[in-house]
Amino acid sequence: MAYTRRNQRSLSRAERRRFVDAVLRLKRRGEYDAFVRTHIDHYVSDGENRRRVAHMTPTFLPWHRRFLLDFERALRRVDAGVTVPYWDWTKDRTPAASLWGEDLMGGTGRRGDRRVSTGPFARGNGWIIKESVTDGDFLTRDLGRPAAPLALPTRQDVAWAMGETVYDVSPWDSTASRGFRNRLEGWAPGTGDARWRNHNRVHRWVGGHMLGGASVNDPVFWLHHAFVDLLWSRWQRQHPDSAPFLPERPPAPDEPQHRRVVARREPMPPWRTTPQDMLGHQGIYRYAE
Amino acid sequence: MEAKGTRSGTVRRRHLIVVAATAALGAAGAFRVLRGPAQEERGRPGAPGGPAFDETYRGRRIQGEPTTGGGVHGPGGWRVTVDGKPLGLMRRADGSYLSMVDHYRSYSTPLAAARGAVDELGTRQSLAGRLH
Ligand SMILES: [Cu+2]
Ligand SMILES: [Cu+2]
Repeated sequence: MAYTRRNQRSLSRAERRRFVDAVLRLKRRGEYDAFVRTHIDHYVSDGENRRRVAHMTPTFLPWHRRFLLDFERALRRVDAGVTVPYWDWTKDRTPAASLWGEDLMGGTGRRGDRRVSTGPFARGNGWIIKESVTDGDFLTRDLGRPAAPLALPTRQDVAWAMGETVYDVSPWDSTASRGFRNRLEGWAPGTGDARWRNHNRVHRWVGGHMLGGASVNDPVFWLHHAFVDLLWSRWQRQHPDSAPFLPERPPAPDEPQHRRVVARREPMPPWRTTPQDMLGHQGIYRYAE
Repeated sequence: MEAKGTRSGTVRRRHLIVVAATAALGAAGAFRVLRGPAQEERGRPGAPGGPAFDETYRGRRIQGEPTTGGGVHGPGGWRVTVDGKPLGLMRRADGSYLSMVDHYRSYSTPLAAARGAVDELGTRQSLAGRLH
């Protein structure tokens, strides 16, 4: 039976508590930090001559889909009634949204060290950061970046990505000028903050740990990526005639992206899962939209 | 944010070692000769990302120089530190730089990336010393 991922704003108080409790139990068992490490280990930038599976690459969407499924499976081993909620950042746009309440994500960081000090993921309430590039062992955030304010992506920004009829285009990286994947991931040309759109911009808006490879330390990571995953499903529904994933075949030896991107039927490390395996989620989960 | 703040004091440019290899990315070949006040520094192949730097930015000492060895992030890398702790940089396909504290935007030079990292660290956090 397929389970349902719901908008976080529709969760009851009891459902919020169950989700948070399941996350805290994974953290206490050490399972949570394994997810943080996996994400750090797979951040490869496109200026490096190495294979990229997670970011700046066509498999950005299927890789994170598989990553969320693993996390959700772990959560559901703890409490079979829990699923990953999604955060629709085109609608819940301020630090005053209930998402940031004390019974769900907790609020922004304090000035100076950006330490989160309210909610279940505050250091004082037992959420200790183990995998980080900074020396503090507490979660950090800087919601909305008050020192240089930045707005969350809008419905128009999402439409700019959703309107693309092709999934991805050569050179299959952060410089691809067209394609749904790069526009949703959010690497855009231009100047200033206009260069960071959609998915990337949300990481920037939250700030703190969400800015680095260790972004998984902030549990809002999962709610953000669940919405990105929902948008991929929605794009497929809106473009039934488009190839659901590209490239179909691996780039040839004389092409610059040879061995640097994963094609439709090749495995995505660290798993044997292929993009083809992740094209749909019928029978596993559905989104309540 | 990247251009905010001023360089306090002068840029302390240390004598540069000759960097032999050219970088995998970016403009290659152009020989740039750096002139110090007292002595002429030796030329080096033009490494992408601008000259080495050593300055104080918002109270933090940021230093950077190009490296030739294949570091974690491939050839044509930079060794950048904030208060002596390594700041890992990654290269984007458009030639810009991402720092490990900030993976969702990039900067045109290693210096800008180092300043951006200081901005994000705020006043009371330091780097942990790990490269990735
Ligand atoms: Cu990611
Ligand atoms: Cu992300």
